[in-house]
Amino acid sequence: MTDIALLAFSVPGILLVLILVFSGRNRFLGNDLVLNTFSIIHSFFLLGLTIAILVSAELPVYYMNGRYFAIDRLAGYEILIATVIFSLATIYARGYVRNLLDKGEIESNNTRLFYGAFNLLLPIIMFSFLANNIALFWIFLELSTLFSALLIVILKAKENIIASLKYIFIASTAMLFSFIGIIILFALSRDVITEGSLNWDALLEIAPSLSGTAFGVAFIMLFIGFGAKSGLVPFHTWLPTAHSRAPSVVSAILSGVILNIGIYGIIRLNAIAIQTTIADNLKIFLIVAGIISILVPAFCLITRTNTKKFIAFSSIEHMGLLVLGIGLSSPLVIFWVLFHKLGHSLSKALLFFCAGIFHRQYESNKYFQVKNAFKLQPLASWGLILGSISVIGTPLFPIFLSKLNILTGLADYSMPLLFIVLFLLFLVAASFGYYMVRIFSQKDDMVQLKPYQTPQSMRWPIIITAIALLILGVYLPDGLVTMLNGIVTDLGY
Amino acid sequence: MIDTIILNDIMQALFVFILGTAALIITQRSLVSLFNIYAIQSLIMAIMAIVLFIEYGTLNLMFIALLTLAVKTLFIPFFLHRALLRIPIKRDLQFNFLSPSSSIVISAVLIFIVYFFFTSFAGTLFEDRLFLLGGVIGVSLVFMGMMVIFSRKRVITKIIGYLTMENGVLLFSLFMAEMPFIIEVLIVVDLLMIIVLSAVLAFGIDSSLEEFHKKLNRFGIWIED
Repeated sequence: MTDIALLAFSVPGILLVLILVFSGRNRFLGNDLVLNTFSIIHSFFLLGLTIAILVSAELPVYYMNGRYFAIDRLAGYEILIATVIFSLATIYARGYVRNLLDKGEIESNNTRLFYGAFNLLLPIIMFSFLANNIALFWIFLELSTLFSALLIVILKAKENIIASLKYIFIASTAMLFSFIGIIILFALSRDVITEGSLNWDALLEIAPSLSGTAFGVAFIMLFIGFGAKSGLVPFHTWLPTAHSRAPSVVSAILSGVILNIGIYGIIRLNAIAIQTTIADNLKIFLIVAGIISILVPAFCLITRTNTKKFIAFSSIEHMGLLVLGIGLSSPLVIFWVLFHKLGHSLSKALLFFCAGIFHRQYESNKYFQVKNAFKLQPLASWGLILGSISVIGTPLFPIFLSKLNILTGLADYSMPLLFIVLFLLFLVAASFGYYMVRIFSQKDDMVQLKPYQTPQSMRWPIIITAIALLILGVYLPDGLVTMLNGIVTDLGY
Repeated sequence: MIDTIILNDIMQALFVFILGTAALIITQRSLVSLFNIYAIQSLIMAIMAIVLFIEYGTLNLMFIALLTLAVKTLFIPFFLHRALLRIPIKRDLQFNFLSPSSSIVISAVLIFIVYFFFTSFAGTLFEDRLFLLGGVIGVSLVFMGMMVIFSRKRVITKIIGYLTMENGVLLFSLFMAEMPFIIEVLIVVDLLMIIVLSAVLAFGIDSSLEEFHKKLNRFGIWIED
């Protein structure tokens, strides 16, 4: 009976794609505003559905006989972040895609392709969180690569095709290593359960009796794939290219939602790992991997000249910080890691939304093309500044709280490492400052640029994310705290 | 039920064939031959599954064999051949980083490394030495496929590298632990979608057709670093 919820999650997206495929060249359905309205309703419907399930049902809820799908507090929280970002992005897309069409940057017969992929990506992302089985999780993770690659290539420039192929090849190749990890894990589970199981909940239960070394190999294999999906160094090379080439609305989703899925996998995996005999070794592995992923972007950021690439590199750094926090795996740090995901997703959505407006105005992502920004695009300028301040972890913003607590956790573990990470984060903050100063102090060469009339639909997502960030920085709702505490207990930290 | 010794012999012969096809994929320059070699490799994979099915009688193995036969020996090579008709290139001559002969040497070394690694940590996970060998060949095949992705220039050759990697994973799962059949089906569907998408995209990159490039360059404003 409860399986109906699964249908409700998947049906609207699939239905739309079927209609689009079979309707041929129907004018009404090919109209971007019609498709956009559907997308907005779709994402808000899924947001409402998630909230309804979280509020009404006794969690965790298992679906289907083999418990292939389940929703527990962690999955619910992740889906909530994903649907919120998606809902904002669909609103933003209304004006943004319209403008791309007007300028001829998307061909009008590709509108269906864009919105079709967009509306399928949402349920795919939700199902990757709902999947209780690692193999299913793997499949949805692969599908998310596929459909986001499709969304990148929608702008038919040669660079977009290259970026998209780079993304597909790096992510899929790494994911094949993950699959080897899954097979090893399955073989290991057969030592404990006769049938063998790949369900997250079953694995969590039998974790203490899994063979240590073999689990370590499986863990590292799985980490390669999940890490590549989250853009961790050394598998990060696809990320800056893909984020900067994609239309800004897609960049916001890539950075705010898709990167989260890989980290979600690592959190679940680590919950199993801490119960095994080689927990200490894996802890060191994760901490080192995290610090490397902070180190590389910290040194890359300072020389960037492309706004979207700059924001993308900052995403790598944040993923590194998250993995570092997961590695520390104390209940307090995990709590703040989860909170950090929310703060990061909102900040990145804000930054990419603003970068999108800048690109519309100046038709370039380069900082030196930006002239007279405060006069031409006051909202986007302030949004960019606010987002940057938020991302580097300034007090009164949510990322400050989470960074502070993750670093406190690191201080308990090792002082020298804390100083290294602090130095790197300082470098990141300095690069942000340097970039912002450069972008807003370009000489106005007296060429009268026509201001780009930002549609209301592009303004509101920026205003909403900015307000949400400001509120979350000073006020933690009780519901959120209870939920995050619940997740930490569920995972057994 | 075949005699275990004969089974061992057949399997080992098939392992040699698999490694042979992988070596050919690393060195072969003609795209048509690459597709054919891949089809043969998948055929050997299907034969392996059938041999295992005759020995152990798990119905799952039979389905895997049929699925491999239908999709990987027939459909994917056919699709790639069709795609090739529309691209004016027939050969992939360039090798980055690694020359074909050094790739072969590196793969030989890799097989040994994987073998020692597996015998030391995961000996207990496999039923016997034959299965261990199967696992080793599978993982080696994954690495050899990865080398193709690294060292080849054309996207279409990279696709063959990816497919080889996927065959390696299938081999590994045959000898370590078969997944539930539904998962295998979903993986093949996923594989198909990736291949189709990347082949279509490859066509944009690999093709040197004037017409296509003109279409791309129209949106010149996106071309910046």
